[in-house]
Amino acid sequence: MNLRVLVLLPILVLAGCKPKVQELKIGVSAPTTGSISATGQSAKNAIALVQDEINAGGGVQVGDKQVKVRFILEDDEDKPESTATVFQKLINQDKVLAIVGSYTSKCSNAGAPIAEAAGIPVVSPWSTNPNVTKGRKFIFRACFIDPFQGRVVAQFATNKLKAKTGAVVYDVASDYNKGIAEVFRDEFTKMGGKIVGFETYNTKDTDFSAQLTKIKGSNPDVIFLPNYFNEVPLQIQQARKLGLTAVMLGGDGWDNPELVKLGGKVMDGTYFSNHYSPDIDNPIAKTFIAKYKSRFGIVPDAAAALTYDSANLILRATATAGKADSKAIRDALAATVGFQGVTGTITYGGGGDPVKGAVVIKVEDGKFVFDSAVNP
Amino acid sequence: MDTIIQQLFNAAQLGAVYALIALGYSMVYGIIRLINFAHGDIFMLGGFIGLLLTTRLGWLPFWVLMPLAMLLTALVGVAVERVAYRRLRNAQRMSVVITTLGVGIFLENLVRLTVGPETRQIPARLPSGPVVWLQQHLGAFVTWDKLWIILISLALMAVLWLVVNRTLIGTAMRAVADNKDAVPLMGVNLNLVIAVTFAIGSALAAAGGIFYGQAYSIDPYMGIDLGWKAFIAAVIGGIGSIEGAVLGSFLLAGVEVVTVAYLSSNLKNGIAFGLLILLLLVWPWGIMGRPTLKKV
Repeated sequence: MNLRVLVLLPILVLAGCKPKVQELKIGVSAPTTGSISATGQSAKNAIALVQDEINAGGGVQVGDKQVKVRFILEDDEDKPESTATVFQKLINQDKVLAIVGSYTSKCSNAGAPIAEAAGIPVVSPWSTNPNVTKGRKFIFRACFIDPFQGRVVAQFATNKLKAKTGAVVYDVASDYNKGIAEVFRDEFTKMGGKIVGFETYNTKDTDFSAQLTKIKGSNPDVIFLPNYFNEVPLQIQQARKLGLTAVMLGGDGWDNPELVKLGGKVMDGTYFSNHYSPDIDNPIAKTFIAKYKSRFGIVPDAAAALTYDSANLILRATATAGKADSKAIRDALAATVGFQGVTGTITYGGGGDPVKGAVVIKVEDGKFVFDSAVNP
Repeated sequence: MDTIIQQLFNAAQLGAVYALIALGYSMVYGIIRLINFAHGDIFMLGGFIGLLLTTRLGWLPFWVLMPLAMLLTALVGVAVERVAYRRLRNAQRMSVVITTLGVGIFLENLVRLTVGPETRQIPARLPSGPVVWLQQHLGAFVTWDKLWIILISLALMAVLWLVVNRTLIGTAMRAVADNKDAVPLMGVNLNLVIAVTFAIGSALAAAGGIFYGQAYSIDPYMGIDLGWKAFIAAVIGGIGSIEGAVLGSFLLAGVEVVTVAYLSSNLKNGIAFGLLILLLLVWPWGIMGRPTLKKV
């Protein structure tokens, strides 16, 4: 055997093993292009804020030294197949310690198995579908889950709006929309309401008039549209043009400034459940909102607030773990108790889903106004 | 309250937009036997040109804005033919088809980079109040813009029919469709006839894009799905036939709406396209299509 190989091999092996912590690398998988690129932009902003905040203070205390943090953001285009590629790249190429992401549930469901197999902890800011964390040890989220959200909206419709009949129009090709639609249907029926229409469409459809006209025949009190902000205004507009007068309700997928930019007046008088409201009285939230506003010129939406919380959850777990090791970070994350975030207090009781409250927001004159808070 | 009449108007509006796109596919195929897969993206581009004109030159009346957007899109269509397709006219069929796909991807990304990927709507310029007469007499809630979109589309199709069947250039187009090689021998400028065909097809697609952007919404990738649907409508009607493209479009929209209204919105595409496959089994050339005999 070649002598040089014999000499070099142990050196290379040793060099590869030696833990050199110069910076902590954390991956971010967010839809910065594609149909919900506005959410990806919120994520990007929040991440920039976290990175500058932590590094301005010298970085994260890991064991006996301070380490700077670098977030590596990749675009998953809000497509499950791209999300899988992004997760693979972050884990295998960039060797990140943990991942923030992805955003929509369909994407998180594509990325999560890859991180789970590689033993990389993930905190999803915005994926509310229950399956994302189910049966997985390394997957966490910073938001509530759809069974809770669906119940909040059903309760609101029954108790506050005194609705007796309801209808649902949802995207059947997306995990989030489908999950929350079914929960709303079941909860609303359980509370004594009647579902008079349960209609579907497919992602990228833009004509909803046939479904809405069908619903018009039974004239419901409320219509639940658990879809994303880029479609909802068009659905409501088409509904009004077809003469539907029902009160329109939605979930956290509505929360983006694009909603009123696209919908304008047609959005007034609608309600949706959300993770937080900028009006909420919480000192951490107030500081975050002020900083975000002065830097980016807009009020942060829930996706931005949850991204901020998710990244900070990982940073705190790294400090608690005391070493730059994915497994240790995962264990520290799972043991998180009483983390004070922008969107409320986060405690993981065993699984990856936090116990958190929700708020109902009303759209008034193109603004999101706090209506009520619901705790589990 | 019965909603069937309202559903018919929904189908008519959707069908009108499909038809405006399908005509371009059908005419180009009829004349040079080319399936122009970039045509769906020309439709998208027409919508965005309409959006830009409406937001930048909003003081212009709709009756000026719309023809202007159609004219600009027609120029793009002609330019695409001149730059990308003309020199491939005698090349292998496959090369041209790949080029059309490439042009489509280019247009999508051009709009995505210059305007942005967000879903947008063209500010409504047509009156949007309900048509009272229809509401009182038929119990159908139909807004004026929907009615206008259907009527203007039908008018455009009527104009097209007159151009093709009653004018000199239309005669030349039909002649080229019949025999592309013999027509230049008669002193007809083949390039001009083909350019006019692309111009008309693109202008109609632009009208569709503007209507679609007002009634529904537009985004840089909408041309893919809608382009496919319109292409299928053209095939069902018999590709190469103008009447067939219109018939196929209204048929496809009708089947889609009826499936949602009376069967299941979940199965919309499955049932709609299943029926259309059956239809093609009965009429392999499309409803109005002519079987082409291959000379050996």
